[in-house]
Amino acid sequence: MNKHFPVSRRGFLKLGGSTAAIAGSLGATRLHAMEQDQGGKDFSPVTGKERQAVPYTCMVCNIEDGGIAYIEDGRIVKLEGNPDHPGNRGKLCAKGNSGFLHVYDPDRIMTPLLRTGKRGESKWKRISYDEATTILASKLREVIDRSIKENDPAIRNEIVFKWGRNRTGGAVHRFMHAMGSNAMVNHTNICESSKKVGLEPSWGPDIESCDWTNTKYALVFGANVLETAYFHNPNAQRLVDGVVGNKAKLVYFDPRMGNTAALADEWFAPYPGTDGAIALAIAQVIMNEKLYDDAFIRTWTNVTPEQLIEHLKPYTPEFAEKESGVPAKDIRRIAREFATTKPATTFSYRGPAKHVYGSYQEAAIHMLNVITGNVEKKGGYCLPRGMNFNQPSPKPPAAKVPSALGAPPQYPLASHAVSTHMPYQIMKGEEKVAVYMTYYDNPVYTYPSSHVWDALLKDEKLIPFYCSFSPYMSETAELADLIIPDTTYLERNDPESMPSDLRPWLGIRQQVIKPLGGTQEWRDTIIQTMHKVDPDGSLGMKQYFAFKNGEEWVRAQFDGIPGLKEDGGYDYLKKHGVWPKYGSVDPVTAKIVDKNGEEVQPEFGLHMKELSAADMDGATIADNGAIKKGGKTIGVRINGKNMAGFGTPSGKIELWKASYVKYGFNPLPVYKRLASRDKKPDELVLTTFKVNVHTQSRTASLKYLAELYHKNPAWINPKTAAARGIKDGDLIRVTSSVGYMVTRAHVTEGIHPDVVAISTACGHSAYGRLAQLKQKEKVAEWALGGDPDIDHNVWWDDKGVHPNSIIKLAVDPIGGSQGWYDTVITVTKAQAGDKYGDVKSSLEVSIKDYEETLRFAYTGDIHKANHKEVQIDWDHLPEPHVGAGH
Amino acid sequence: MPIGLQAEPSAGVAGKKRWAMVIDLRRCIGCMACVAACKAEYDVPLGVWRTIVKVKDTGQYPNTKRHFLPRLCNHCDNPPCVRNCPTEATYKHEEGYVLQRYERCIACRTCMAACPYNARHVLPNSRTRVKIGGVVDKCTFCEHRVSNNLVPACVQTCLGRSRIFGDLNDPNSEVHKLVGGMPTVTLKSEKGTKPQVYYIKPAQQIVNQIYSPPESYAAKSDAEAFYRHNKGRQFFGGVL
Repeated sequence: MNKHFPVSRRGFLKLGGSTAAIAGSLGATRLHAMEQDQGGKDFSPVTGKERQAVPYTCMVCNIEDGGIAYIEDGRIVKLEGNPDHPGNRGKLCAKGNSGFLHVYDPDRIMTPLLRTGKRGESKWKRISYDEATTILASKLREVIDRSIKENDPAIRNEIVFKWGRNRTGGAVHRFMHAMGSNAMVNHTNICESSKKVGLEPSWGPDIESCDWTNTKYALVFGANVLETAYFHNPNAQRLVDGVVGNKAKLVYFDPRMGNTAALADEWFAPYPGTDGAIALAIAQVIMNEKLYDDAFIRTWTNVTPEQLIEHLKPYTPEFAEKESGVPAKDIRRIAREFATTKPATTFSYRGPAKHVYGSYQEAAIHMLNVITGNVEKKGGYCLPRGMNFNQPSPKPPAAKVPSALGAPPQYPLASHAVSTHMPYQIMKGEEKVAVYMTYYDNPVYTYPSSHVWDALLKDEKLIPFYCSFSPYMSETAELADLIIPDTTYLERNDPESMPSDLRPWLGIRQQVIKPLGGTQEWRDTIIQTMHKVDPDGSLGMKQYFAFKNGEEWVRAQFDGIPGLKEDGGYDYLKKHGVWPKYGSVDPVTAKIVDKNGEEVQPEFGLHMKELSAADMDGATIADNGAIKKGGKTIGVRINGKNMAGFGTPSGKIELWKASYVKYGFNPLPVYKRLASRDKKPDELVLTTFKVNVHTQSRTASLKYLAELYHKNPAWINPKTAAARGIKDGDLIRVTSSVGYMVTRAHVTEGIHPDVVAISTACGHSAYGRLAQLKQKEKVAEWALGGDPDIDHNVWWDDKGVHPNSIIKLAVDPIGGSQGWYDTVITVTKAQAGDKYGDVKSSLEVSIKDYEETLRFAYTGDIHKANHKEVQIDWDHLPEPHVGAGH
Repeated sequence: MPIGLQAEPSAGVAGKKRWAMVIDLRRCIGCMACVAACKAEYDVPLGVWRTIVKVKDTGQYPNTKRHFLPRLCNHCDNPPCVRNCPTEATYKHEEGYVLQRYERCIACRTCMAACPYNARHVLPNSRTRVKIGGVVDKCTFCEHRVSNNLVPACVQTCLGRSRIFGDLNDPNSEVHKLVGGMPTVTLKSEKGTKPQVYYIKPAQQIVNQIYSPPESYAAKSDAEAFYRHNKGRQFFGGVL
């Protein structure tokens, strides 16, 4: 039977004799599942003319899928996945398909704006990009001059740059380091940071890349792969291929039934924050029943099976059942299935990680793949593959003085910083800001206790000057003094790479159309600004921005990439969007195949790749086998072979983490019972979630997506609702220690009875008229305007209520993650006078929450009490020092 | 391309094409990429849909299930819309498409009333870029793409590869193999419409629920808002 026989993936062959006869009659002829071409071209349904096609890389979310933009008369009318792209294999998700609406959003800011009224009063004067960059440059120059005059380089850190989504390929760092500032604040601790910090010390990278297509068993914790999570589109395609095509079993843990639960063979709803207990119990069963991969543990980790068996003793399935509610008999069965079905993989995302002590939970799940030897196997749990590109030379040296802003020294293990702490650090006078800049960032909407950011940015003493680069009037941008709008992702230049496939790729973003209405991309704004900060070059900064424009800057980044030049260099990427071309997507299997229809196999076993003589030249081998060169571990010697190993000091997987224990954390994965687990019987746990058609804050203004999902009633179990006299659709009041919100109940069987879930997609108080359902209001004079469809055809009348303001600040003392799912609430029917959409929250309570969460840090008093089992010299923990967090 | 008012059904006719779609519900993840791609392809205004994916939850916690059912025109071989169109605006193409000639359409809505699948709508006049409105419109199976040897836009972007498109008359085509070899159902086959969109393995209760009125507050309140905004409309194509 030809392996490309198309119907095998649909289980067709199971049907018996008659079907086999059909198949047999076809002989070895290769069939075409879909005889029509999958894509790569498009035609106007009105004129029949072929649409102009220009490749790009998506940026509606962070996965960076490859796309082709179709253009009619200079207007982008359609987007499609790039068929040459190994990650998304020619397909886009709903968000990706709708991305061109960002370009034509009638409320898009089309010109720089200077504030004329009070902060947040929405009074603006339109100015030119030239005027705007002059203003910004003079503000930056003031700080630099003061730093020079006082001979204090630390003053440069008063220039602060905060981003939510930075896909600039290092341009932000170049800009800030050129000016001598290290005050760069990311958003990662509201995203997935404790996942990263659960993984990195163990095996190097911050994410796993599962070979879903070839797996036989997928154990997924709190990662709604089919709707959201990291790599939604690529992972969803491959997970469906695995489950339906390869008959893999999918077991899914999530307190809420999302679309991944819909495909799962088994869905379990654990109590929030108990995934780690389940994973540890699974590990215990695997170890006790000797179902583990003895050779892999002994060869490739820094622990022994005996050590693990001893460590896992307390974590019985019965213990995990008590904590999570998932039956012990199911945990036992799943453990045996997971260990004996090969290949198998886990995947996890925010569910386990976004809790206080989320890093332990992630580390516990990661360990399951290690003890079963599924690491770097076909169909298993693999290292991510990506490509690097450098900033062009000359490069500015790193700024001298570290900044603690958003990276407080109490969190030395939080390698992705603790951005939630930024406003509190400023309000308490610990950090100072002179010029505050934001880029793709909307903390007034997206952060826990978001009202704190509103209060910070309204305070002109604390934030004397605020420049936003947002092309949309977000909840945060409307508090700016100056807005210098960026273009959209379809009108800008960037290098890209993401590990969305087991074959690495390099992609570009380019201007698929000329930026609309004289807007300019952020790179151009930065070039102009720096030429004004340092007009004669005497500060030594101008030399780093000697580019004509953004495209020239990005083109220079691709110069040094090995092999690209031979294929046509940057111009190849402009034409094809992605490099290299591994093959074509087979319409039958969706696998990447060569000209003969054979699959282009990804490489597996990267850790076992042997180092070359050149690699070994000048290297030394430590007692534990680690191969060291230039102070770094470049591999590990195993059984006389020099192998690439893992990105750890020993070159092995370090299940026992020296970095953790140094600060009094348990070096091995443990389960720590959270305060939310001890809530009172009448209380509930608030969780939030994303849906398949929205990002965190940027898509409520996209009409196709808003039409699909525009309101976010609170999911509540029928039993829970009935106990409170609440019926489906009732107005309810959700109260946390921070404040309350008035929303409606969505009574559903798809949620744990102790949990309330509210989507973060809706409930904007800014972000244009559509997001706020104010489309009947006049368009602002600075905006693009002009979509009669939005003016007349919007039929929904509920924009939802946003929950983030009542969510308590509480971070993981290890990885720094915000504990998004740790807020304890009460839910009642609405009180007299309550109106839908009311949200009240207390700044004072949030500041106390900040002080409280610092007590969990390694420097705090709660830390030791929570880690009695750790045997170290508690009186001599390392002193906190600034810079460790960067 | 030759057209006929009511071309004879081409299914099974040697030498002719019969375009059809198979939707493998085991592979549909309700991602809505098809819905967005279709809206963009045709500049489909808000409030009308050529295709949609219906979502239904069933069962009781913790034994809850979620189901998806993509919907579009069935390109029937016995299309009541064509029979009932008084101006010959709606016609049956010899390759199986049921298509609409805007220039002949008087928006009398007879076809909409005749269609048991609510697959037709009147195009609003207010659109983003295409200046055609006030006429009935519908899914065309992307005839303009298919005739250029491409799959329809919804099939192109389908993340789960749940939508499969091809020529039913080609014995080597995947749709032919699937319809011949898998248990499939068509919607409301009892109406005698001979639909040409085939579904693999839908649960009967889900099929029954598609046409039932919305149950949850979330769905009902959307439907109410829709009818408030679109007075006189008979069908709401919302997701829930």
